[in-house]
Amino acid sequence: MMRTLLPSLLLWGLGMPVWAHGVELGFSTTPAIEVQARYDTGQPMAKAQVTVFAPGDPGVAWLTGQTDGEGRFWFRPDPAQLGAWQVRVRQGGHGGMLTIPVTTPAEDVMGDEPEAPDLKIPASPPASLSPWLRLGMAASWVWGLVGTALFFARKTHAPS
Amino acid sequence: MHLPDGLLPPSLWIPGWGISGLWLGLNLRQIQHRGDPGRDLPRASLLTAVFFLAGSVQVPVPPASVHLLLNGLLGVLLGPWALPAITVGLLLQAITFGHGGLTSLGVNILIMGIPALLAGWLYRLSRGSWLGAFMAGAVGVGGAVLLFWGTVLLSLGDNPEAERQALLLLVLAHSPLMLIEGGITAGVIGFLRRVKPQLLP
Repeated sequence: MMRTLLPSLLLWGLGMPVWAHGVELGFSTTPAIEVQARYDTGQPMAKAQVTVFAPGDPGVAWLTGQTDGEGRFWFRPDPAQLGAWQVRVRQGGHGGMLTIPVTTPAEDVMGDEPEAPDLKIPASPPASLSPWLRLGMAASWVWGLVGTALFFARKTHAPS
Repeated sequence: MHLPDGLLPPSLWIPGWGISGLWLGLNLRQIQHRGDPGRDLPRASLLTAVFFLAGSVQVPVPPASVHLLLNGLLGVLLGPWALPAITVGLLLQAITFGHGGLTSLGVNILIMGIPALLAGWLYRLSRGSWLGAFMAGAVGVGGAVLLFWGTVLLSLGDNPEAERQALLLLVLAHSPLMLIEGGITAGVIGFLRRVKPQLLP
């Protein structure tokens, strides 16, 4: 009796996933966005608040979190919501807003590559002004202000 | 002390634009009533350049960075011209360096402008004393920090506790700046009194 009952119980137990203690791990690759937050001094914005807004409802936070020690934050946009994703990073009243356009790639003519990424995300944000250009702009403003001062000072002291 | 775009809700930055615009309009009218605006314009223009440059130089102090404000000095030396000077300076800083946003410009004008006004009053109340000049410089920074703090507390984001802690560190980092700007203001006033007293109000 026991000879037949014991193997049956063991086999029955293997078929009950509720009582199982094993896990099955796997992985797959998926396109994700890495946000890098730094102060303009180069210092990373560590542990800063991050709020992600989806294009469908930009008034409601789609995801919240915080940057790591290096000022980085990762998220995977919902492939069903294409458009301008917005990421807000803030810390102590400082921060900013980043807009990331997420679209689909141009349709593949062959159409037989299901493993291809289903989202098209720019590799980096649009280039900002170079430091030299900013310096040139600042010098122009200062020159304009000094020139204004000199012009009106000369007018004031001109003989009537 | 520059609030960027995207942090403040429209319920804060729209009134900020309205109040600062109204104040600026009244201020310009006051300047016009004083007669001959060209007389004070050179001084206002030069101090706008100084304000623009001083606010653009950032010194890293965790968790963010600290820069000179000089709004107290402008309040003492420019009187009613301080507000237009601060407005132009903040606009140029936002356009050139991204220090502060354009939507938040109205709030930033109030954060810098109100303490500048108080600093000017304080200096005149002290009858132009050295201590009054020092206090005016310190009040300019202290007032701006308090207003910045209060404004951010009105919109803390999704993790209020983390934001409060970061804000507290930022306020503490600006405490030495009160002494520094008090000293700068007193030094500039003392220097002008010896060299060119007609530039003093």
